[in-house]
Amino acid sequence: MGIPAAPVITSVFQDLVKTNAYKKGMPLQRFTFVPHPVAGKPASVCREYLEGKDPLTGKPVMQEIVEALTKPLTEEEKKTGFIERPTPPRLVGPDTPENLHQIFLKNGWTDGLPIVLPTEGKVAEMLRGTSHRPDEVVGTMRPSGPHEAWEYTVEKVAINAVMAGAEPKYFPVILAIASTGITSLFTSTTSFGRMVVVNGPVRDQIGMNSGIGALGPFNHANATIGRAWTLISRNLGGGGTPGQTYLGSLGNNLNYNNLCFPEKEEELPEGWKPLHVQKGFKAGESVVSLFSGWSIINNGGFKPYPYHEVMKYQSLGFFTSGTGNCFKSGVPDSAAFTVLLDPLVAKDLKEAKGFSTKEELSQWLMKNTFKTAWAYWACRPDDLKKAKEGVEPYASWLKLPEGALVPEPVFFDPKKPIEIIIVGGRTNPFWQAGDFNYIASGSVDKWK
Amino acid sequence: MKKRINWLLIGVFLVASLLVAYGSNAQEAKMTVLNPLGSTPLIRCVPMAPRLDTLSGKTIYIVNVKFPLTDPFLVEMQKAFAEKYPQAHWVLRDKKGTYFDDDRALWAEIKEKGHGVIMAIGH
Repeated sequence: MGIPAAPVITSVFQDLVKTNAYKKGMPLQRFTFVPHPVAGKPASVCREYLEGKDPLTGKPVMQEIVEALTKPLTEEEKKTGFIERPTPPRLVGPDTPENLHQIFLKNGWTDGLPIVLPTEGKVAEMLRGTSHRPDEVVGTMRPSGPHEAWEYTVEKVAINAVMAGAEPKYFPVILAIASTGITSLFTSTTSFGRMVVVNGPVRDQIGMNSGIGALGPFNHANATIGRAWTLISRNLGGGGTPGQTYLGSLGNNLNYNNLCFPEKEEELPEGWKPLHVQKGFKAGESVVSLFSGWSIINNGGFKPYPYHEVMKYQSLGFFTSGTGNCFKSGVPDSAAFTVLLDPLVAKDLKEAKGFSTKEELSQWLMKNTFKTAWAYWACRPDDLKKAKEGVEPYASWLKLPEGALVPEPVFFDPKKPIEIIIVGGRTNPFWQAGDFNYIASGSVDKWK
Repeated sequence: MKKRINWLLIGVFLVASLLVAYGSNAQEAKMTVLNPLGSTPLIRCVPMAPRLDTLSGKTIYIVNVKFPLTDPFLVEMQKAFAEKYPQAHWVLRDKKGTYFDDDRALWAEIKEKGHGVIMAIGH
């Protein structure tokens, strides 16, 4: 804007704003910090913070803000040109394997678990899993929109694939994930999780497991492909440094391998399309599809109630899940729901309940899931205002008891349809559901 | 007897040699590996805007970026500055939408009418 700015930051974000200011070319930005949090504090406490001292510098807060606006600039602050950044050397070492493992761990290049050291031999072997040149640029990735994007080549993806313990035959799947440019370690205070679903012939070609225990630690391809995405997100996507490029308050255990599994296409009921076909790919193509969410819950169909009715109530749990946007003042409410069905559940829904496609089930759930009046007004303050002004239908809904359902669907966003995926080993009619929404797909065949 | 002692000495010598060789190999077993990091972009320096010589008669905007439940803090900030620095005009404005949204109209207004801006980030 060309006028002086004084950023005032709550202290927990000090690393984030300092590193970002550096990356945005203002390394000497004049920050003033106040205690964290300020949200929800009464006026008296806010005044105390403002008339108190910056918890980092010890200077009086208001004086520091005024100085940020009025103190003449130093020569360093007026500087133009470019900031020299150290280029990482191509090789690490020579050193003993034990020391190299420590170097990788201390530099934050791992997920905290032991890795396979990426020797030139192992990386060359991984590169044989694709026809693409090692120096071809695969894409760019960033921890979230405001952060800088890092660029990476086929060789760099191969290095991280080796570290994850992947085999060369998995490499096209890993390249397909990397080519989307989507990080698995999205930085947000809300601790996102991710999910990878693999479709097409590649599932069997590389021995992935879509049957018993598909989402568990029982298959090498499922385990290492999912893990590779996290290592790529740290090392090639510039993310995963807590406080700077990762802010999830609690973190998310799903980030270890991002729920990587293949869809059990062979067990889809007749008329139900595989996920990649739903997303516009041909059945014979191999594809990875990525989802974003936070959490998963489980249910079993042992009582004689229709599964889809149970799913409807289960899905209600997810409008309070995720970001908590439903109850966040000033933020539009939005919810997502993805269901992972054991083939036995899918068969029942098709044959006994008449859902002839995945889409039919998805649309039924979207049209028939409602929240209570209390929750509706808590989520929609603007509608509450209209209701009190007598605007219909809100005024009539306001007469409903708190526990009654408001006939406005919870899942209303057409960009976030409820997704249905088939996976599992038919040991019992179980399903798992999560607050996940589909974000992107990538062709595996392109990277063979 | 003498023969047996000789064989024993030869045996001890061979075992000792093997142990020494193994130890020196273990010490020398160093390797190089490939660096897993991607390429970072170039950073272009952005010079900071010239500062104000005085607050007197100046209009300073305080922007509510809309982090949830931070309104009282910003209202109090406006009041505190107006009390302590009455020579300046302190204007509190809400950015439109949520903290995710841009508000070009507000930035244009501040550029036109403001002499400085305080942005509050965090909750």
